[in-house]
Amino acid sequence: MQLAVEGEEKMSIVPKETIEVIAQSIGITNLSPEAALMLAPDVEYRVREIMQEAIKCMRHSKRTTLTASDVDGALNLRNLEPIYGFGSGGPIRFRKAIGHRDLFYTDDREVDFKDVIEAPLPKAPLDTEIVCHWLAIEGVQPAIPENAPLEVIRAPAENQIYQQKDGPLIDIRLPVKHVLSKELQLYFQKIAELTLSKSNPSLFKEALVSLASDSGLHPLVPYFTNFIADEVSRGLNDFLLLFNLMHVVRSLLQNPHIHIEPYLHQLMPSVVTCLVSRKLGNRFADNHWDLRDFTANLVALICKRFGNTYITLQSRLTKTLVNALLDPKKALTQHYGAIQGLAALGHNVVRLLVLSNLEPYLSLLEPELDAEKQKNQMKSYEAWRVYGAILRAAGLCIHDRLKIFPTLPSPSPSFPSKGKGKVISTEPNKRKLGVDSSENRSPHKRLIATDGSDGGPSPMQVDRPTGDANPPQNSVRPSSSEQASDGNAPESRNAKEKDDSKGRAITRKAILDQIWKDDLDSGRLLVKLHQLYGDRILPFIPSTEMSLFL
Amino acid sequence: MDPEQVDEFVMGYLKKKGFNSAAKHLQESLHNNNGSTFSSIDYHNDPELNKLIRSFSQSENDPSRYREGYSKLRSWGYNSLDLYKHELVRVMYPVFIHCYMDLVGKGHTQEARSFFNSFRKDHEMVHLRDLQKLGGVLAPSHLQEMEFARSLRQSKINIKICQYSYDLLLQYLHRTESTLMLGIINEHINFQVYSGQPNSASDDIEAVTIVGSFHETADHVNQKEIHWGLLEDSLEDRLEKTGGLLSDSEKGQGESKAGDMDDSKKRSAEIGKQGSSIKKLKKDKAGTATTKVARQETSTVLSSMPRVKPELAMPVMSTDVEESILEDLRNRVQLSSVAMPSVSFYTFVNTHNGLNSSSISHDGSLVAGGFSDSSIKVWDMAKIGQAGSCGLQDENNQTVGLNGRRNYTLLVGHSGPVYSATFSPPGDYVLSSSADTTIRLWSTKLNANLVCYKGHNHTVWDAQFSPFGHYFASCSHDRTARIWSMDRMQPLRMMAGHLSDVDCVQWHPNCNYIATGSSDKTVRLWDVQTGECVRIFIGHRSMVLSLAMSPDGRYMASGDEDGTIMMWDLSTARCITPLMGHNSCVWTLSYSGEGSLLASGSADCTVKLWDVSSSTKLTKAEEKNGNSNRLRSLRTFPTKSTPVHALRFSRRNLLFAAGAISKPSS
Repeated sequence: MQLAVEGEEKMSIVPKETIEVIAQSIGITNLSPEAALMLAPDVEYRVREIMQEAIKCMRHSKRTTLTASDVDGALNLRNLEPIYGFGSGGPIRFRKAIGHRDLFYTDDREVDFKDVIEAPLPKAPLDTEIVCHWLAIEGVQPAIPENAPLEVIRAPAENQIYQQKDGPLIDIRLPVKHVLSKELQLYFQKIAELTLSKSNPSLFKEALVSLASDSGLHPLVPYFTNFIADEVSRGLNDFLLLFNLMHVVRSLLQNPHIHIEPYLHQLMPSVVTCLVSRKLGNRFADNHWDLRDFTANLVALICKRFGNTYITLQSRLTKTLVNALLDPKKALTQHYGAIQGLAALGHNVVRLLVLSNLEPYLSLLEPELDAEKQKNQMKSYEAWRVYGAILRAAGLCIHDRLKIFPTLPSPSPSFPSKGKGKVISTEPNKRKLGVDSSENRSPHKRLIATDGSDGGPSPMQVDRPTGDANPPQNSVRPSSSEQASDGNAPESRNAKEKDDSKGRAITRKAILDQIWKDDLDSGRLLVKLHQLYGDRILPFIPSTEMSLFL
Repeated sequence: MDPEQVDEFVMGYLKKKGFNSAAKHLQESLHNNNGSTFSSIDYHNDPELNKLIRSFSQSENDPSRYREGYSKLRSWGYNSLDLYKHELVRVMYPVFIHCYMDLVGKGHTQEARSFFNSFRKDHEMVHLRDLQKLGGVLAPSHLQEMEFARSLRQSKINIKICQYSYDLLLQYLHRTESTLMLGIINEHINFQVYSGQPNSASDDIEAVTIVGSFHETADHVNQKEIHWGLLEDSLEDRLEKTGGLLSDSEKGQGESKAGDMDDSKKRSAEIGKQGSSIKKLKKDKAGTATTKVARQETSTVLSSMPRVKPELAMPVMSTDVEESILEDLRNRVQLSSVAMPSVSFYTFVNTHNGLNSSSISHDGSLVAGGFSDSSIKVWDMAKIGQAGSCGLQDENNQTVGLNGRRNYTLLVGHSGPVYSATFSPPGDYVLSSSADTTIRLWSTKLNANLVCYKGHNHTVWDAQFSPFGHYFASCSHDRTARIWSMDRMQPLRMMAGHLSDVDCVQWHPNCNYIATGSSDKTVRLWDVQTGECVRIFIGHRSMVLSLAMSPDGRYMASGDEDGTIMMWDLSTARCITPLMGHNSCVWTLSYSGEGSLLASGSADCTVKLWDVSSSTKLTKAEEKNGNSNRLRSLRTFPTKSTPVHALRFSRRNLLFAAGAISKPSS
């Protein structure tokens, strides 16, 4: 804008001040401003003319940058004396004159004659030489240092090959293979050995640290992904190997110098295999649960890091996992892996995908959990393991939901460790599902009532069908589980309830109202979970919030 | 309006236009008739006429009328129907530049500049270079001085326009009484109205190119007859005749050579004549039968083409030279889109930005560089290979040879930057041209200057030997191209006609024509015998930097400053298709021996190969589909930051390239 305005005001790019300064420099002191104004456009025209010729000289010197010698050449073409003193190769430095807006002068230092004489002779410039190499051999560029680095060419070349394969007109010659340095090959061999050997855990740890931090490993990434894929598919029975491989994956992911994204599609199948495979190592001897947990975290890490750039990643992953979970033919170990994977992906995933499928799944699990029905001890153990995982996932989810209410200070709940003992200890509690269900009925009814009055917001509607489907299930459930109920648990709960009711009896109603209003969804969720799990969900719920619902 | 007033207007107009005697007569007659019964035409009651007269009498010098008139015309043009828009918009550019020049001519510098700046954007895409030139014109004297402006003022611009668009335009101009615009359009545009639907926007580039005074003649020039056929009794013909007889010896030789070549490394020792044969021989051995067939085909194609007689007296070729050429031709690799050539690259190092030009001899064994310090350096690549075959790696660092001797021949004689240095076809002479306005002939055998040709008045940009030697052509900043023979000090012919520097020159394979590329953005073809311009190729949007003629003599390729390469059909002077791909100056072009591939080298540090055979076939089939856009880029070879200055397909179809590395190698 500024420029345009200036352009309109001035006759020429050359300001008249410049003309005046030039005039002074050649000894004309009495140049009238009118004359300067008249001269300015002509000066501009001459300068443009010279530059046009200079560009010609530049083109004929086969260059794309203008140099002082080109301007000299142009002046020569016009039969003018060249401007001396600018011939040196380096760029000319201009300095701004202090106090003037656009007045510049060259930085021309005074040089002491003595210094020049005493200075050592400069090195003689290197003489011109011709070096010869093959730019291409029968249309293919060889990978030699004289040619442009191949990486630059490779990436697009690879894509083109696949695109062009169908075109009959175009012949394809694969680019020359790039070569791994000896050092990198050795490094790869060493890492592979360590991963496979399992005998030297401390050294393997060192290797993992190196993998996670070394900067020059990028050329090896395709080899590592290949290696991992191969070994995973080959060594499904070898628990330690799988664990080692997953550690390698994690180290590669952690390495900030590696751009692993292009190889994710090769890596993901192996990782997911370690999560939801039916059999990982020895079923009895190896703690494959740990491997699944570890891998679940790995998957979550990948999704978190590349979810943004690789949009379909998470959706494809969750689809795989949910399919594994909902397929009744799949083994319980697979279900466990799927649940852990989904749980690691975050609470939203759990809420949308696990909780919505909770009832059907639990009903599926029910017979396995039942000690009387399931004679196979191993199976029963696995079932409880799955039950524990799903409980934890749901619990964490609901805890997260409840935490978002700012009105209630939530003391951090005590999470159950996923250990075997915990699961076992919850076993007796489970038996009293039926007892709870009767109690639950009242809040549930209330929920339906509020549903009607509020005319629910959109997120609710997702859950409504399952909520409505509850009553029939409830009626079925007691019949299956009531038979084994023993009534010792309610005491503790009742005690808690009393406790809470004393402290917060006054505010309770108001808050409760708000919660039902604010987030019918989470309230309802809680109700539903409680319905399904009974008291085992309670440890996940901050006591204050819990009190509101009970 | 009362009659007195009208008379006054008429009087004022006549006076202003300088028709003093007419004004006097009018005054007298007015006086005689007492101003009452004078007019026989009832112009008082004719409102049209009235307005017209009024507009004439208005102050003609009002500079704002230009801006008003043009901006109205412009908005009308851009808002017109899409179908006719591009034709109408085409009219804008001449109107624009003439408005600007009118303003400058009348001394309204300030208004001219603001007018120019406000509408310049519209035309920048197509006419950037012209606008840059015109932008500097700020005073009436500049208009006189600048040739480009003068030729624009003097000439009319041809615009092809369909009947309907033409009517629309006229209607608009009359309706709005924009007499000023009408005047400009009348004065400077020559409409070629045709009936029917308007051409599609991209149809012909010519329609929008404005090239000054000769444009009117361009169509006329391009009607002239040219004979683009090859010379009768050329070496190709001879090869064809003797081909059958020699095939045995060729085979035997191939095998004997292949033995010692197989283990040879593909380094400089073998490059050159020998090197070119390596590839070749392998190929030949692999499929002697197939190449034979292919060769037979091409030779039948060749023989079917017209033959012409040379118009110049041709030099006699010595028998051993002829033999070696024949041998090369026999061993030529057949290139096509599936058989790519090998490219050998000569990189100049430590040129200190001083290398102006380079060239490679026909067999690739000699490389010459012309430097801005007035020197010419010639390298014999075969010798370098022998001397440095043991320690090639060291050679990069040790610039002076092992004996402390430089390994090139230094030719000193010019007194200005050397802008070209090229080899004669057998490689025994070097021809150099320089800013000192001379052309010098050097012998590579004696390493000495033989002749200095003086004749040009300005820097000589380029000089090229004819395909058969002896004759050479040069082109210069003095806007002429000249034909010389080695044995005469004076030029034989002068070709004048270009409107700006002649930047490059190239011989037609039959020696009867030369092509010149110029800064006026045209390429011209000249008859060597008569010195007449026989073709003008219009279409480039910037300075033409390189030219190449197809071996069959039918096509020409030209490369410009923007990176566009254009393929021209010599007989029609039409562009077959522009080859887009380079994004900087195309310094050099070269056709492969049989004309199926075109190689281009550019300042963007790439060598590109283009498939031009498909188009050739297509056009031979008389362009049945009318779809000639089959030319395509086959391969791009990026160099390591080395702009490509020179390319040469050897007779055996090995591609040599040369360039100076642009950043100092560490």
